[in-house]
Parts: sequence; structure tokens; C-alpha cells
Amino acid sequence: MAPVEVRDLSKRFGSVNAVSNLSFDIAPGRVTGFLGPNGAGKSTTLRALLGLVRPTAGTATFDGNRYEDLERPSTRVGAVLEDAAFHPGRSARNHLRVLAVTGEHPRERVEIVLEEVGLTAAADRRVKGYSMGMRQRLAIAGALLGDPQVLILDEPTNGLDPPGIAWMRTLVRRQADAGRAVLISSHLLAEVAQSVDDVVVISRGELRARGPLEQVLGGDGGPVTEVRSKDRERLAGALQAAGHAVQKDGDALIVPGATPEQVGVVAGDAGIYLTGLAPRSRSLEQAFFQLTGGGEAR
Amino acid sequence: MSALLRAELLKLRTTRTFIAFVAASVAIALLITLLFGLLATKFTEHDIKSVFALNFTSLFILLLGVMGMSGEWRHRTITGTVLAAPDRLRLLGAKLLSYAAAGALLALGVTLAMVAVGSIILSLRGETTLGAQAIIDVLWRNVAVGALLGALGVGIGGLLRNQVPAIVGILIFAFAVEPVLIAFAPGVARFAPIQSAPNAIVRYVLFGVLPDNPLAPGIAVLVLLGWIALFFAAAGARLKKFDLV
Repeated sequence: MAPVEVRDLSKRFGSVNAVSNLSFDIAPGRVTGFLGPNGAGKSTTLRALLGLVRPTAGTATFDGNRYEDLERPSTRVGAVLEDAAFHPGRSARNHLRVLAVTGEHPRERVEIVLEEVGLTAAADRRVKGYSMGMRQRLAIAGALLGDPQVLILDEPTNGLDPPGIAWMRTLVRRQADAGRAVLISSHLLAEVAQSVDDVVVISRGELRARGPLEQVLGGDGGPVTEVRSKDRERLAGALQAAGHAVQKDGDALIVPGATPEQVGVVAGDAGIYLTGLAPRSRSLEQAFFQLTGGGEAR
Repeated sequence: MSALLRAELLKLRTTRTFIAFVAASVAIALLITLLFGLLATKFTEHDIKSVFALNFTSLFILLLGVMGMSGEWRHRTITGTVLAAPDRLRLLGAKLLSYAAAGALLALGVTLAMVAVGSIILSLRGETTLGAQAIIDVLWRNVAVGALLGALGVGIGGLLRNQVPAIVGILIFAFAVEPVLIAFAPGVARFAPIQSAPNAIVRYVLFGVLPDNPLAPGIAVLVLLGWIALFFAAAGARLKKFDLV
């Protein structure tokens, strides 16, 4: 059972289908990018997952349980929503203390997460004086308070400056490397490309693509690898002998349907030195626009 | 539930709103006590009990409860609150109990301050102040009203959500609708929740209105509990089905 399972999820607001029959899983130890243009239904999906929005049909569960049925949910799931709001008159430390008491977390966790997000020095200042980046860090601290196994981040880089974005990227990677399942929604494609392992792409509330980033960006035909060698003809023969189609492109060979690892293994077995090996992707924007049909909001 | 309750009480303690309400309530109560102690010429037990009754503090407590709940929407913190405590009815229940406790505490503090200052002034003027039994009588009535109105405020705030209309509506109801009801429909007015029923518990009223034939204090407590249950049910039903988008 996956840490997060979305099955046939639909949500209708009046006459608008915000989400239609959406299904995907996210895996532990991986960062899954949840992509789509503004208005695609990303936030609605995440809010349905977190029990904030009632699905019209389908389910969204954590290890088979709805969020609202989880015992001490903050120990299982940490979430940062796009419009994370705080009482302006409360300090960051007190905000986290309230969350710690609610979730029955040890008080020491407050200091640990403040340190982790770099807010210790400003922890006793009232939140109304915080910058957007500091608020985002505080929201992250709240999500990490229960040391959860699943992290859900809705547009977490919104309003962050470049150092903040880099910090967020590092934090997300570290969380996944620690075995957590991370779901990160974004419409900033360049951000996602550098942070995620898998992607789920939606548009107009419907699933457009899902899978490993490389595969999805490679198009519907799967991965495409570009390989270079001084012994190009022999490499082409070895690849064809291994069952791969090969196309010549200048001094490179293009191998549709094969990953760089597969191509590398064939070359290695044939004793052929490579001078270049890389996945050949459509540009992220190209892939995104193709998948989302232009991606305008409904 | 106890964790939620402790969290709500911590929320109360960690903003300036509660402190401001306490300061304003104590200041007004002491001003009334001071003016009465220095300017009055006769001091019957009825007069003294009227001064020691909650007066404006009861309205402050009601508004504190309203702001405590509607503030979750005003500051858009309701999403985070529900994320931390996804059982929305338990959340509302914890909020209600915490503001009942806060209301009781505020009423207790204000009453003790008034009794202390009032007794000192009366003894300086050579007048007799209330005996222990009479003070206990004032105390329980004030504390009961404080607890009930704190909880009622949460129910009203949870149902109306929009802070300004909720506060304006309460003031209009308290100072226009209830007096009109008392004048033209006294039988109905006895059950009104903001002035008539609370004042029937306190019994001695310096400011505010009290019907000629008020409810017995025990019945008034039950009536207020009924109002709280009604608002809790309506606010709970609305909160439970509401999509937090």
C-alpha cells in the first residue's frame, strides 16, 4: 500500500468539475511533482487529500486511511498549503507551541524545527512582521513538527527569493532521502525539474501523465537517450543487436525507448567507450504545454 | 480532547486580545466600583450586589468568544486549525469549552477585583460591605454567566463567521432588540440570550435590562445552555460540511 493513494477522485463545485477521476500514488523516498497550470485542480486535489474539501466521488488516503481518520495526523502527514496563514499577533515560537500541544508532540520539537528552518533567532517576533520567505519557513516548520512520513507542499516556492528556493529544494531532497514521501505541487516547471523524481501532470482536473520525470518528459513513447562514441557504427550495431531502434543525429545516436542506463549497459558489454550519454528530453515547457493542451485555467 | 483544549487555551494566552479584554474589563469594573464607592450616599445590599454584578464584563466575554471563533476566518487560520485537528466537531467543542473557561476566569478575576476594591472603599467610609455568603452568591452567579456567555460567543462566532457583522448584530440585539422585546413581549424576552437570561442569573443589574418577571436563576442557566446547544449544533453542522478551499 502506497503512503498516499488517490483513486478516482472527483470534486465538483456547482457546475464546475474541479477534479475528474484522478488516480495516482506517491512512493516513499521520492519527491513527486504535482504539476499543472493555474486552475488545473492541484490545490483542490491536495485539499481533498487533507480532508479540507469533501470529494464528490473517489478516495484519497494515507496508508489506506482518510486524513480525518488518522490518529494524531501530524505524526503521519505534514502539509504546507499555498495560502498558509498565521495569527499576526502570535510569535512563531508560540504558533509552533500551539501546534505541538494539539499534536501532542514534545515541546523540544519546537526548537528542533525552528533550528531546521533557520528561524530560531526570529522565533519570538510576531508573525505579522515576517517576510513571505519567513512565513513559508514557519509553515514548513509546522509541517515537520510531528516528524511525518509524508510531506505535502502546495506551491512552496511562491514568494521565495532565489536563496529561499535553493533552500527549499535542498530541504525537499533531504526529506525524500530520509525515506519520506514528498508531494510538491507547482506551476513553476523549472523548479520541479530540479527537485523531483516523479511527476503527476494534470490539466482541467484530469490526469495527463504520471511516472518518472525522465519518462514523462520523454513523451508518450517513453525515454529517449542520446549517446556519443568515437566508435559510432559499432555502437549502433550493438544497440540494434540488443533490440533497440537507433537513429543517427549528427555525430550522436538517438535511442528511443531506452534509458541511459540501458544504453550504457549495452555499450559496456560490447566494450565500447562512450564520449557522451544523456537522456534527450523535450524541453520541460514543451512537454508541459503538450500534456496540458496549453494549460489555461478553466 | 484535552490536548485540543490545552491548545485552545494556549492560543488565548499567546495573543494580546485576551489580555486587552481582561485589562478593559477590570478597568471598567473598577471605575464603576470606584465611582459607586465614592459618590453613592446609601449602600444597601441590593446596591452593592448590583455594582458587583458583571455589568459590561458579560458583554466583553460574549464578544471575546465571538472573536475567538470568527477570528479563525478573519485571519484565515481555520485551514491550519482544521489540519491540526481534523475532527471539526471536537475542535468546535474544545473552542467552546476553552472560552467557557476563559469567561469564567475573567468573571472571577473581575468580581474579586471589584469586591476587594469596593470593600476597601466601603470600610474607609465606615459602611458595611457584603458578608462572605453574599460574596459567594455574587461570585457563582458571575462565574456562571461568564462561562455561559464565553461558550455562547463561540457558537455565535462559529455560525456567523464574519466578525464585524457578528459583533454589530450582537450589539443591536442587546441594546435594541431585547429592550423592545421586554417592552412589547416580556414573556418572550425572558428567554433572550444576551441580556435577559444572563441578568436573570446575576439578578442584580446596574446597567442593562432585566424583565419584570425574570426566569429563576437555575432555569436561566438551562435556557442559556439551550441557546449554546442550538448555536453549537448550527455552527457544527455548517463547519462540518464546509469546504475549506
